Amino acid sequence: MSTYIAKRLLLIVPTLFGAAALVFVIMRVIPGDVALLIFGGDQAGHIDPKQLEAMRHRLGLDRSLLAQFGTWLWGVVRFDFGNSLWTGQPVVEELLIRLPLSLELALAATVVSVLIAIPLGILAAARQDTWVDYLVRVFSIGGLAIPSFWVGILIILFLVIYFGWGPPLEFTPPWVNPWANFQMMVWPVLTVGYRYAAVTTRMTRSTMLEVLREDYIRTAWAKGLAERAIVIRHALKNSMLPVITLIGTEFAFLIGGLVVTETVFTLNGVGRFMIDAVAHRDYPVVQALIFLIAFGFVVVNLLVDLTYAWFDPRIRYR
Amino acid sequence: MATRIRRHRILLTVLALAVLVGSLVAATRAAAQAPETPRRGGVLLAAIGADAPSLDPHQEQTFATLQPVAPLYSTLLQIDPYRYPNVIGDVASEWKISPDGLTYTFKIHPGIRFHDGSTMTAADVKATYDKIVFPPDAVRSIRKFHYSAIASIEAPDPSTVVFKLKFPSASLLSNLASPWNVIYPKKYLDKDPNYFKNNVVGSGPFKFKSYTRGSTFEGERNPDYFVKDRPYLNGYKFFISTETSVRAAAIRSGRAHIEFRDLPNSEVEAIRKQLGDKIVVQSTPFVIQFGIAINNSVKPFTDERVRKALTLGIDRYTGGKVLHALTGLRDVGALTRPGTEWAMSPAELEKIPGFWRDPEKSRAEARRLLAEAGYPNGFKVTLKNRNVKLPYQDFAVYVIQEWRKIGIEAEHRPLETATWYADGRDQGNFELMVFPAGGFIDDPDQLLAPYVPASPQNWSRFSNPAIDDLYSRQARTLDPTERRRLVIELQKIVLDHAYHMPGLWWSRNVVHWAKVKNWVAPPSHFTNQKLQDVWLSED
Repeated sequence: MSTYIAKRLLLIVPTLFGAAALVFVIMRVIPGDVALLIFGGDQAGHIDPKQLEAMRHRLGLDRSLLAQFGTWLWGVVRFDFGNSLWTGQPVVEELLIRLPLSLELALAATVVSVLIAIPLGILAAARQDTWVDYLVRVFSIGGLAIPSFWVGILIILFLVIYFGWGPPLEFTPPWVNPWANFQMMVWPVLTVGYRYAAVTTRMTRSTMLEVLREDYIRTAWAKGLAERAIVIRHALKNSMLPVITLIGTEFAFLIGGLVVTETVFTLNGVGRFMIDAVAHRDYPVVQALIFLIAFGFVVVNLLVDLTYAWFDPRIRYR
Repeated sequence: MATRIRRHRILLTVLALAVLVGSLVAATRAAAQAPETPRRGGVLLAAIGADAPSLDPHQEQTFATLQPVAPLYSTLLQIDPYRYPNVIGDVASEWKISPDGLTYTFKIHPGIRFHDGSTMTAADVKATYDKIVFPPDAVRSIRKFHYSAIASIEAPDPSTVVFKLKFPSASLLSNLASPWNVIYPKKYLDKDPNYFKNNVVGSGPFKFKSYTRGSTFEGERNPDYFVKDRPYLNGYKFFISTETSVRAAAIRSGRAHIEFRDLPNSEVEAIRKQLGDKIVVQSTPFVIQFGIAINNSVKPFTDERVRKALTLGIDRYTGGKVLHALTGLRDVGALTRPGTEWAMSPAELEKIPGFWRDPEKSRAEARRLLAEAGYPNGFKVTLKNRNVKLPYQDFAVYVIQEWRKIGIEAEHRPLETATWYADGRDQGNFELMVFPAGGFIDDPDQLLAPYVPASPQNWSRFSNPAIDDLYSRQARTLDPTERRRLVIELQKIVLDHAYHMPGLWWSRNVVHWAKVKNWVAPPSHFTNQKLQDVWLSED
């Protein structure tokens, strides 16, 4: 097991290197010149070419791609992602403002989605084609069909119209003021949690149905075991492998993929930061964010793989 | 006898009560009419619909920059917050204009301090205006065309600034009251003229506190502000949200006290219904017109017939009715605000293609011109826009469905604010672009600058020497009647050639809580943003 973990950890290095190289090249291939964007200038062609060249030099954009990539990688090793080309602030500082919010949202939304999805998925499978199943299916299809941002706006309007109250407009970290944090985060967490609960509920139901048709489950019924024991002890663990994979991937996606929800709830998270950075051709920020999101995916995938062994004793890592 | 005494007593009691009630009513009325005593303290919370592309108002033209930073700075002159468009002093305590109109001399208030502790002198004002009027290479100055009359700026002593003119200018004093022309300390400009794109060192009623890009912008009271006993507020804070419904909800819940720019009528009515007299709605016209910048340098828009078809394809009169409730876009007009002294009369306007009253006749003419230009079945085009919903995107949706009626299929592409400016203003990387033209006052120098060929505001990138000549002549004509004639003639040339496509003039609803006192909405969301006189009657 420890050898497997060590191997997987080592594999992270080439994976991240590949992701970094890919992003580095893509950001430089797409049209748009950050020096031009920073300078502005009266109109195209009215900017002094010498000044433009000086700006490119200052940003290091006049060096070869390989040299730029090397410098950036050396910085990454020291956890220095450089300065934002747009604001001039260190990328790490900009990121640290937004990362706690996005991590909290992703983590809490995942917990909420799991707490809703697993029991509902089990219930729907155990009571297939009854009103319970239909109800759960309506719930989950609704979650998939209704956009999160719309649910978010409805929640805000409901609170404002019926209670004259709206969520705070500025993020307060939980360690500074847990109550203010709760007031702001509970609504986006529920909104996103519902969306992802819908996906996970459907997956749980499908895999449970598959497992419940296995021979060993039929044997368990024949032995006269109670339904609860069959479903929870024998079927659940074996049906969880695809569900865990899904939850892991969703979690990694949630860190940077909630742009619209962040906009609706005025959350200054990583998603909006990424969109702004792409619009400004802010290479260091985009590279850092994609690198970190790739890192998140790799770590989550590793954790998911390790969790498999716990759920399925037949899996042994060598 | 006893009954008579009792009757007298009752009469006296009734009389006494009547006198008492009358006095109370009179006292209450008097109290209501008496000016309220300003209360100190509190933080004004405002919602704003976009994030600043940079913090340097000299280089920007969006409320997203000006509204958050205006309270941090001073200007030479300012538009009177209570009597638009009168000009009053800000750091200038007095000024005089020479009889020939060629020399403007300003005296600077003594003892004004920048927030870094240094004293403001005439040298700082000169350095600021040199940057605006004669910008160094690679420094953008959006409004330098408003100051084409200025030959030189001098600072003969620390408290005197002299503007020498090439020719008398009708609008110079108003343009020197521009809220965009904030005064920077010279020493920072000397080091880097772009320093203030990311930094703030002002002398305004508030000091910079914090800015989290995409989230909040905060200022705190400047205890050393040169105007005695101001500001009243302890600070102010802007919350940035691009969603109109979120900003409206923020007002309804009290999380924000005010939205300075505009809210659509539908939101205003909902807020009014819920909050009643707890809120105040100030409705004004708006010195902004939303139109379409046509890139005259790219095909097929190099062809005047195609440009004319675009403008003929839009029914502006129906648009004003449809879009008013949704966005506040209402009035049909040319390049100056309808109803003002510089505007064409409706009769003059209705003779111009695109402003005819009969939409079917306009569409038939548009189709004919397209066919003549080689596009009998129309064509496909991309309409770029800013990703601010109100009113940019609603306006674009209306325009697109109108164009569809003449066979033009426009793909709508909203962009982040910075990219929208980069593509539209800086690089000309577009075919058609939603473009708001406006100013902080109804002044022809400002409102016509986007149509002067060499102006950085000329997103449509067209060139016509006659327009240059007319712009230059109107700017130096002191006779209002003659100036109006030149202004109208210039507009007719732009519209006849369809170089640019004006859409609709905006109207403005500023919604704020009644506890926000002493703030008057002018017809521009750029002026009266210093907040020095604003106070909160309760927290």
